Amino acid sequence: MATEMTSRERFLAMLNNKPVDRVPVLTGSTMVVEYIEKSGGKWPEYHSNPEMMVNAAGMMYTDAGLDTVVVPFGMFVESIALGLDVKMGRIDIQPSVRSFFKKPEEVNYENFLENPYVKTTIDAIKLAKEKYPDAAIVPFLVAPVTLAGDLMGAENLSMLSIKCLQKEKQMEKMEEWISIALEINKIYAQACVEAGADLLYYSDASASPNLVMPEFYYKVGVPVEKELGDFIHNMGCPWELHICGDTVPIIEGMAATGADCLSVEQAVDMKKAVEIAGNVPIVGNVTPLLMVEGTEEQIICETRKGLDGGAKASMLGCGTPPLATSDRLKTWVKAAADWSAEKL
Amino acid sequence: MQIDELPEEIQGLIEQLDEAAEDEDEEAVEELTEKLLTTGVDMEALTLKKLSISVMDGEEEISAGWTKVALKIGIDPFKTLLEGLAAGMSLIGDKYAKGEAFVPQLMIASSSMYGGMELLAPYMEANTSGEEPSTVVIGTVEGDVHDIGKNLVKTLLSANGFNCVDLGNDVEADRFIEAAKEYKATAVSMSTLMTTTMAEMPKVISMLESGGLRDKVKVMVGGAPITTDYAARIGADVSPDDAAGAASWLKEIITSSPSNTDRWN
Repeated sequence: MATEMTSRERFLAMLNNKPVDRVPVLTGSTMVVEYIEKSGGKWPEYHSNPEMMVNAAGMMYTDAGLDTVVVPFGMFVESIALGLDVKMGRIDIQPSVRSFFKKPEEVNYENFLENPYVKTTIDAIKLAKEKYPDAAIVPFLVAPVTLAGDLMGAENLSMLSIKCLQKEKQMEKMEEWISIALEINKIYAQACVEAGADLLYYSDASASPNLVMPEFYYKVGVPVEKELGDFIHNMGCPWELHICGDTVPIIEGMAATGADCLSVEQAVDMKKAVEIAGNVPIVGNVTPLLMVEGTEEQIICETRKGLDGGAKASMLGCGTPPLATSDRLKTWVKAAADWSAEKL
Repeated sequence: MQIDELPEEIQGLIEQLDEAAEDEDEEAVEELTEKLLTTGVDMEALTLKKLSISVMDGEEEISAGWTKVALKIGIDPFKTLLEGLAAGMSLIGDKYAKGEAFVPQLMIASSSMYGGMELLAPYMEANTSGEEPSTVVIGTVEGDVHDIGKNLVKTLLSANGFNCVDLGNDVEADRFIEAAKEYKATAVSMSTLMTTTMAEMPKVISMLESGGLRDKVKVMVGGAPITTDYAARIGADVSPDDAAGAASWLKEIITSSPSNTDRWN
């Protein structure tokens, strides 16, 4: 076991397959009502007020003891900045994208970085770096396949994902959407890295075998994620890839993107995923709902199961649920620390 | 009917008709239909078979073409729907249930089925059999806008003869209750993809209970994070594995339940 590390050191060591003092405990999205209220956040202001955002997200680090501070809350920022309709949800419901474009030509991203929500993310990263220099500061971003799905509508993405494997013309259509998504991703990624992000966390939820065929993911998803990943690496920043659902059939592809670590959910057999991914660290895969209604025993059991399966960090299978409780989050962090004390 | 066992000449005409349908060349489709009729092949059986295969394969233009053939040769539109289009949807639904097909395949099949249904609609008179189809109120719960899974359940329920009242996505709890009452529903089907919105499901169930409606309707819950355990814990009747499972479970359960009239009166 390494000597005591800061959260940031621990997290970066894990990414580089180096020894850690305890396994890192990570989170995806962190719109936790209890922390929002305790830190004086007001809905929906905390989505566009960097201070409120960082104060709430920061409690995952300062109070619960996780190693990352993750902003923003939810996967809507890219869409709202492009002019799509977004319903802001409630204090306990994340914002959701409600419209899509009919044609790729309708997408205008010229002033993407000027959007107040995008600016909030950038300012929140800077602020979090200042306030929590020892934590890993991680922006939560929408990956290219999912962003393409937001642009064209998820249903259209799913249908086009099979049609494009059958017909060249449909593939051209798909590539048009994907290349726009990638351009937007790059603009946002660069701004996040320049603001000081320690890692970019991408969710490619819609690249899941639940929605598109693995064949499509290998043919279209892997190359575009890799291109984005290479772009991020060239700026000297690591990145993490999350895909929902049972991703075992596509783990090999996920590992081939060059991502510095892969996040998987509870439907995944951790041992199998770790075996397939080889040197690429896998993180996961505690059931998020346990943070709302799990017993201490259940939380400890699932945390240990993931780590015993070879996970290099404990993470929830998806974002932290808004109704997660601080006592359960602390139980989870302690479970990872206890496991580390025994096994590292 | 086995198409690959038909004489080569007929198979050739079928292929040409497929191509004409794909090119949306209506004249050629009509001409080839005439030619096929002169061969003496059982045109009704052939058309229904082609419809089910093209829906299963998600060949939208081809299933639209053969739907036009069905109309031209005068097959009862209800029969075309049930034994052609819907049968194809069930075939792909079964494959999905066995892990042999993926969601996009279900979606393009569903789109083919609906495409054919639109063509049939103007020719379909109201069902006069006197037997009311069972109604399912279906929607994605409040806070969740994902409706692909919900739409697939709806498609397969429709393909199995259920009348679906689709409330869409992001549906507030009380709208499920109002619709169940209004349509004297056989079942309420709720879906969510997100762990963050699962808590809406028990809310709807407790509203059904407090409104005295719980014993009148079956409650199905589904979506990626929903497990059988969770369904049981919140008092739902079932969480089918997938869309095909939802249709077969409901079909089975209604045969052993009191009729809608008995439950709602």
